[in-house]
Amino acid sequence: MKKNDMILIISILLLAGAFLVGYRRYQIMNTGDNARVTVTVAGEAYGEYSISEDRTEKILLPDGNYNILEIKDGYVSVSEASCRDKICVNHAHIHYSGEEIVCLPNKVIIGIINGEESDIDGFAGQ
Amino acid sequence: MNNKKITNLVIAVLFILAIIGAIFLGSFLGKKIVQPKDVNSAKEMQKFTTSFIDIFDTRTEILGFAENEEEFDKMVAHIKDRLIIYNNYYDIYNDYEGINNIKTINDNAGIAPVKVDPEIIDLIEFSKEMYYETNGRVNIAMGSVLNIWHRYREAGSHDPEEAELPKLEDLKKAAEHTNIEDVIIDREAGTVFLKDPDMRLDVGSTGKGYACQKVMDYLRAEGYDNLLLSLGGNISGIGRRIDGSYFNIAIQNPDLTSDEAYIETVHIDDGQCVVSSGDYQRYYIVDDTVYCHIIDPDTLFPANTFAAVSIITNDSGKADAFSTAVYNMTYEQGREFVDSHPDVEAMWVYHDGTKVYSEGFKK
Repeated sequence: MKKNDMILIISILLLAGAFLVGYRRYQIMNTGDNARVTVTVAGEAYGEYSISEDRTEKILLPDGNYNILEIKDGYVSVSEASCRDKICVNHAHIHYSGEEIVCLPNKVIIGIINGEESDIDGFAGQ
Repeated sequence: MNNKKITNLVIAVLFILAIIGAIFLGSFLGKKIVQPKDVNSAKEMQKFTTSFIDIFDTRTEILGFAENEEEFDKMVAHIKDRLIIYNNYYDIYNDYEGINNIKTINDNAGIAPVKVDPEIIDLIEFSKEMYYETNGRVNIAMGSVLNIWHRYREAGSHDPEEAELPKLEDLKKAAEHTNIEDVIIDREAGTVFLKDPDMRLDVGSTGKGYACQKVMDYLRAEGYDNLLLSLGGNISGIGRRIDGSYFNIAIQNPDLTSDEAYIETVHIDDGQCVVSSGDYQRYYIVDDTVYCHIIDPDTLFPANTFAAVSIITNDSGKADAFSTAVYNMTYEQGREFVDSHPDVEAMWVYHDGTKVYSEGFKK
C-alpha cells in the first residue's frame, strides 16, 4: 500500500468520525440533556428547570395556593396541589417537548421545551 | 518554500475545512427540516406550538407552521381575537360591557326578547338542530337542571365531607322548564326570547365546539393551512402537517391513575375533529360514587355507562354535541346513531378500560 492510500483511508475515517460527532451533537442538543421544564403562573414566567436534574419545587402563588412540581428521571409530574379539582395531580407525567400539565384553578402551566420530540400533535381530552 | 510544501499545506487546510464541514453537515442532517408543500417556495417552514388558559375557562392549544416565530405569533393573536368574541357571546356566567350574550338572554327569561349578535342566534339554531338530531339527548334548554347539579358539584368538591346529591324532586321540578320549543328565535328582529321564565340556557354541550368550528372556517377562508387547534381537548384541524403526513392525535386515558396518558391514537385528515366526553375531569364524589357533569335528560342524573366516548367527524360543533349525546345513550342506541351518520365515527371506553370502535374509527 502506498503512503497516499493510507492518507486517503485515514482521511475518510476521520471525515466519517467528524460526521458522526456532528450528528450526535445535534441529537444530544435535542433529546434530553438540554430539555427545560418551564413554569408559568397566570401567563407570567415563574421558573425554568433542567429536566435531567431530579428536584422537587414548590410553586407558591401570592395567595398561598401552591403546586408541588416533581422532576424525576427525566419525567415531570405534580405530586401535590392546593387546587380543588386535582386534575394536575392526576395528570400522567410528561416528558416530551410540548407536553403540558395545566392547573386551571391556580393558572399554572408546566411545560417542556427543547426536549425529545414525540409523534403526537394533539391531545383529545375533555 | 518549494511547491511540494505549498501543496501539502493546501491539502492540510482543505482537510481541516472538510472536517469542519462534515461536523456541520452531520449537525444539519440531524435536524428535521420540514419543507413546505409548495416546492416553488424556497422558504423553510418551522413547527410552532403555544397554549393559553384564559378563554372558555379551559386550555387552548395551537400547533402551526410558519417561517418564523413572529409569523406564528401573528396567527395566534388572530385566533385568540376570534375566540374571545365567541367566549363573550356564549358565556352563561358573566356579563360583558356593551354585549348581550347568553347570560343576558337567561336574565330576561319570561321578561323580554333580547337583541343579540347573529353569531349567538346561529349557535342557538345549531343547538336546536342538534336537539332534534339526537332525539333530545343534547338540550341547551336544560340549564335549570344543570344549574342544580353545578351548585351541588361545586359545593361537594369544595367540601368533600359534606358532598351530597340533589333531590330528585327538585330536579324534576326544574325539568319542567326545559322545553326547547320555548326558546323563541326571531331571525328578522335578531332576538332570542325564553318564553318560560324559569328556563335557562346552558350551551356547555355545543358552544365550545361550535365556536371552534366557526374559528376554523374563518381561518380557512383567510388562507391558513396546516393548523391544529385544541379548545379544551376539542381537536380540530385544517390541512395536514407541512410534510403532507396526517396529524397524529392522542386520546386521553379516562383512567387518570394509569401511567398511560392516552388510550388510543388516531390520524386525522383535513377538516376532521376529535372530541371526547367523559366522567374523568369534571365530577364530584358522593359516598364513593363518581357523579360527572353530563346529565342524562331522561334520568336527570349523570350518565355513567362509559368512562368516555370519543367522536371523530368533520364538524367540531357536531363532534361536541354528538359526544355528549352518545355518552348519554346506551351502547346499542349510540351505535345505531353513529352508524346512521356515515361521516361520524366513535370509540366507547368502559370503566374497566374496554374499548369498542365504530367501523371506521381507526381508519
